[in-house]
Amino acid sequence: MLELINVAKSYESPGDTVGLCVLKDITLKVEKGRSVAIVGPSGSGKSTLLNIIGTLDRPSGGRVLFDGKDLAKLADSELARIRNREIGFVFQLHHLLPQCTVLENVLVPTLADKKHLSPKESEERAINLLQRVGLKDHLLHRPGELSGGQRQRVAVVRALINRPRLLLADEPTGSLDERASQNIAELLVELNRSEQVTLILATHSMKLAENMGRVLELNNGGLAEKGKH
Amino acid sequence: MRLLELAKKSLVFYWRTNLGVLLAVMIGTAILTGALVVGDSVRHSLAMMLTARLGRTQLALVADNRFFSAGLADKLAQELNTIAAPVLHLRGIVANSDGTKRANKIEVLGVDDHFFSVGADRNPFGDDFSEGIVLNEPLAARLAVAAGDEVVLRIEQPSLMSRDIPITPDSDLSIAFRFVVKGIAGGAEFGRFSLKANQIPPLNAYVPMQWLQEKLDRTAQANILLAAGDTNESITVERANEAIKKCWQPADAGLELRSLDRQGGSLEAGGFGDGWLELRSRRIFIDESLAEAAINAADNAVGILTYFVNELRCGDRSAPYSMVTAMGQSADSNSFIAMDIQDDEIIINQWLAEDIGADVDDLLELTYFIVSPMRKLEQQKSTFRIRRILPMEGLAIDAELMPDFPGLADVENCRDWDTSIPIDLDKISKRDEDYWDKFRGTPKAFITLKAGQAMWANRYGNLTAVRYSLRGESKENIADKILGASDPASVGLYFQPVRARGIKAGDEATDFGQLFLGLSMFLIAAALVLMGLLFVFGVENRSEQVGMLLAVGFGPKLVRRLLLIEGSLLAVLGAIAGTAAGLLYTRAMIYGLSTVWRAAVSGSAIYFRAKTSTLFVGASAGVIICLIAIWLTLRKQVSRPARELLVGDLKWQFFAAAPVSKRRFGLWTAVIAAVAAVVLLILMAAAEGTAAAGVFFAAGALLLIAGLGLTQFLLRMLTGRWSKPVTSLAGLGLRNATRRCGRSLAVVGLLACGIFLVVAVGANKHDPLANAHRRDSGTGGFAIFGESTIAVLHDLNTRTGRESMGLDDSGLEDIEVVQLRVHEGDDASCLNLNRAQTPSLLGVQPEQLKRRGAFTFTKTIQPRTKKATSQRSVFGAGWDLLNADYGEDVVPAIGDYATIVWALGKSVGETIEYSDEKGRTFRLRIVGMLKKSILQGSLLIAEDEFVRRFPSEDGYRMFLVDASAEKADKVTGILSAGLTDFGLALTPATTRLAQFNAVENTYLSIFQLLGGLGLILGSLGLGLVVLRNVLDRRGELAMLRAVGFGKVALKRMVFYEHGALCLCGLACGVVAALVAVGPALSSPAAQVPYLSEGMIILAIGISGAVWIWLATAFALSGSLLEALRNE
Repeated sequence: MLELINVAKSYESPGDTVGLCVLKDITLKVEKGRSVAIVGPSGSGKSTLLNIIGTLDRPSGGRVLFDGKDLAKLADSELARIRNREIGFVFQLHHLLPQCTVLENVLVPTLADKKHLSPKESEERAINLLQRVGLKDHLLHRPGELSGGQRQRVAVVRALINRPRLLLADEPTGSLDERASQNIAELLVELNRSEQVTLILATHSMKLAENMGRVLELNNGGLAEKGKH
Repeated sequence: MRLLELAKKSLVFYWRTNLGVLLAVMIGTAILTGALVVGDSVRHSLAMMLTARLGRTQLALVADNRFFSAGLADKLAQELNTIAAPVLHLRGIVANSDGTKRANKIEVLGVDDHFFSVGADRNPFGDDFSEGIVLNEPLAARLAVAAGDEVVLRIEQPSLMSRDIPITPDSDLSIAFRFVVKGIAGGAEFGRFSLKANQIPPLNAYVPMQWLQEKLDRTAQANILLAAGDTNESITVERANEAIKKCWQPADAGLELRSLDRQGGSLEAGGFGDGWLELRSRRIFIDESLAEAAINAADNAVGILTYFVNELRCGDRSAPYSMVTAMGQSADSNSFIAMDIQDDEIIINQWLAEDIGADVDDLLELTYFIVSPMRKLEQQKSTFRIRRILPMEGLAIDAELMPDFPGLADVENCRDWDTSIPIDLDKISKRDEDYWDKFRGTPKAFITLKAGQAMWANRYGNLTAVRYSLRGESKENIADKILGASDPASVGLYFQPVRARGIKAGDEATDFGQLFLGLSMFLIAAALVLMGLLFVFGVENRSEQVGMLLAVGFGPKLVRRLLLIEGSLLAVLGAIAGTAAGLLYTRAMIYGLSTVWRAAVSGSAIYFRAKTSTLFVGASAGVIICLIAIWLTLRKQVSRPARELLVGDLKWQFFAAAPVSKRRFGLWTAVIAAVAAVVLLILMAAAEGTAAAGVFFAAGALLLIAGLGLTQFLLRMLTGRWSKPVTSLAGLGLRNATRRCGRSLAVVGLLACGIFLVVAVGANKHDPLANAHRRDSGTGGFAIFGESTIAVLHDLNTRTGRESMGLDDSGLEDIEVVQLRVHEGDDASCLNLNRAQTPSLLGVQPEQLKRRGAFTFTKTIQPRTKKATSQRSVFGAGWDLLNADYGEDVVPAIGDYATIVWALGKSVGETIEYSDEKGRTFRLRIVGMLKKSILQGSLLIAEDEFVRRFPSEDGYRMFLVDASAEKADKVTGILSAGLTDFGLALTPATTRLAQFNAVENTYLSIFQLLGGLGLILGSLGLGLVVLRNVLDRRGELAMLRAVGFGKVALKRMVFYEHGALCLCGLACGVVAALVAVGPALSSPAAQVPYLSEGMIILAIGISGAVWIWLATAFALSGSLLEALRNE
């Protein structure tokens, strides 16, 4: 489903001709429905790698294939469509719209492409998902009225609303306490199974990573199975 | 959920930010809509004034110095099936009972009830039109009188014959009456009646028409006729003029067709055969057009021209002051001049022959005066050979041949003659008195009509009578033939579409909407920039949201659309609120126009009026402009990568140095603009006047662009590499200024543009008093400007002329007076809000002004020579253009710049259609344009052309007096006192010039004020930028606090940072403005308000500093440690 072939990423730096190399020669294959954790210390490039996979960034070298399609060859509008329909994002910060209710926040991605799901279908799915994550009673609440864990659950549901096949979670528990973190971890694993969504999770928490089927470590720009450096 | 719902929720949620945006939109829209509604209000006011001054009048017949029978009105009313009102209109002077208050140039209107039927709801005379006077409100206010008070009214006494003819008496030019004011006429009583398209209320005095007719010996006569329009506007000029042709009678043309008394017998026998008719004119001379028709009316018509000669001399003997008649030749017995009489032959009567001892074949010398300007007596002589001597019998003793010369015809003896011709009483002998007693004005000699007309024909006519034998022709038949062959317009009887012209004058008037829009442009721009900044700050605040939306699959376009929807809602709401606020803005502007800015509208009342369409246009324009501004700001905001937005990376962006190409863009812009400015100044170094001003303004604008380009370059450059570490707070502040180049540049640009406009405009104010003594200045070097109600007939430059006017000569010896003839029309000055349709005309002797090198021409029709370009005094040669020949129906004209460009909407080389007093259309070709002058308001043409086109306009009613500064007051006193009865109003020429300049200066003041308000908004923008910058960096500042910086030190650092931007804006604006106002600064008449300009710049600087300090204090208030924790 997802294949990274020799992906590299470097940033230009004023006065530095070589540039700052964040990712080097990353090759990775992820099958459908699998869950993968990418661990590594801060600044190791986890978020960069997720951004590249999630089409928010482009690699400096190598190829990213999604369902066999080279993402580098797609136009911005096609990438936006893929992000909307095929990929779900969960960020460290929930990035909920404070002006909207929980339900509305979940429905935000459906506004980008109304042909994908009908409004009625979207709403039913949003309520269903929110019920599954224990937020049925909070549909009309604003993000400001929720706890951190609840907000992140809303963010997870928002990421799943368009039935994506790939869910990317970038430090989803980074801003949560231990209990809330555990809840989110369990939720992600459960959704990975029940929704058959491929999950790639970036975290520096080994405890969270251990919930995933596969754990990869990113260090010095390179990616390797945990313990196989 | 839909995008719209999301947008609405965002709108409500971020209400604080949005409120700021909304207020800025509201301000922008309010100013825009308000300015347009000012235009509506002025147009509405002009329309109201049109109705007030014309009532229901559709057409008007204005005969001016000609008089027709008032009964013509009834006939025309019947023919046209409408109301027609005759009016007897004269100029007058009125004073209160003790003479302490006085109004010159008032309109005295003899009216009857028809007049009020045309235009008023109420008739202030009631049923009693026998006597009394009604003053209109402005006149009553001027005199401070009310109903029941006494006033003294002096009215010009119309003359039978033009007063320019020396034989006409120049005494009793006016007649005074004491009245008790019967009432005051307001708008409902037709108190604003005026046929001139001018919003300034006239000074009208209404008296009963019949009373006025009797007092002026103009029984049943009028000189204005108003025709009311009907509902279907069927009364057209063509129809009305046809009706005149159908209805008019000889009396309407000033003609009288009378039967001569003596019946039967031949001429020689002293009879008139089968009976004779004689056609005479009340104006003495019969107009040429009528004379031709009269001669052609019957085969036996004989033209007669009788003239007063000073002397008839044969050898060394002479007879003084006699009549000589020129007569058409005829084979019939109705003329003395047989077909075989030659043009150099003369027939004399027995009396004269005996008096001077003349005999057949002797030579007889005639001495006589001819008509010349200023009643100057130009004496000429002609010699004839005596062909025959008539016995003193029959028609040879026909005193009827003498026209009713005023001052001659009605006196008992020669010594009572009242003419302006100097009569030497010593020359009048007993025998002359006897002749007068016995034969009155019976001509003593007869010549051919051709010979007579060669000597005495003038612009008033070439016949004094036409005689017809009634053989086979009835009186009515002849009258019909004369009228049938004549055009009523040729004697001033034609209607003018006064209402249509008034509407046109209002429609084409200065568009105050556009004017105020222009004046408010900077204020609107400042509001838009403010709105843009607020909106951008709002969007920036939500950059992570934008990043999230991009991350979940929203394309940048969709995000932009979402934010644009939000912006649209704000724009619509703001525009609605702004439109409402715009009405307040309009009221404020109208209040300003009726108080501190009165000069801009000449003190006219402006009534509030807002058209729905205007409000809609204003609101729509507000929405569209705001949306464009929002769209422009959004383009950049949403173009950033989602990952940057998601992690709030915006604040780090400044670390990335701009690409070299971007940095150099500013440098290249600066270099190109600066070079262009220099090249422009070098190439156009020789430009003058408005062209020079334009060049300098463009150069200034280019330098402004150069300054902004340089600022951008410096900011970009400083963003990049730093070769040295920061060693001071100021240095740190300066470096901080480079963080947000766009924001910093917006602040610098806004301030610089505002200062540029305010300073550049302010420096263009002119002091009318500067160099006003110079002949090339706006005063023409004249110290005094004067206008009289009653025409002055004599030359005030000569002792004789002054004596004729009864002026005390001492104190007036050294003065020089340029006298101008005046044909009243629309005021074509900047004091008139209407577009002048028929401007007033002035007749001037061009050589008088040329000789003095008076005034300066900004443009003439001929290409200027190099010499003329370099020497302004040579511009005096432009006056020669008034004598240039541009064809039969083209009259060269010169006018003031404001008159031609603004009041008439014309330029040099263009033409204006005009009608002379006989209804003939001719074109005024503008051949020259004067720099701001006291002649604003009228067009000048050569006096020769003036008298040819308007022969009935007697004398001079405008005066330019050159007197030394020390004597000016004394001269004013002497002339005012001596010519009180002429209603002479004298004002210092500088005062008049100042009145005109006041209009322009008022507009400049309005612009400055609105520009100043714009700058306040601009500096508020600066405050917002400061606030935003500091809030963005609270973490940093907290860190600085943590490492030991005090709050004051941080405030100073922020202050340095933004103070540098403020100073940069001030410097760019001031330098560019100084270049732009180069011509104004070097102009001798420049009235650069250095103090106020300096104060404005200082105020802007202080305002900026205050905003910076306030924003800094606000942003740094509270605990910074919280910010540090968040960081």
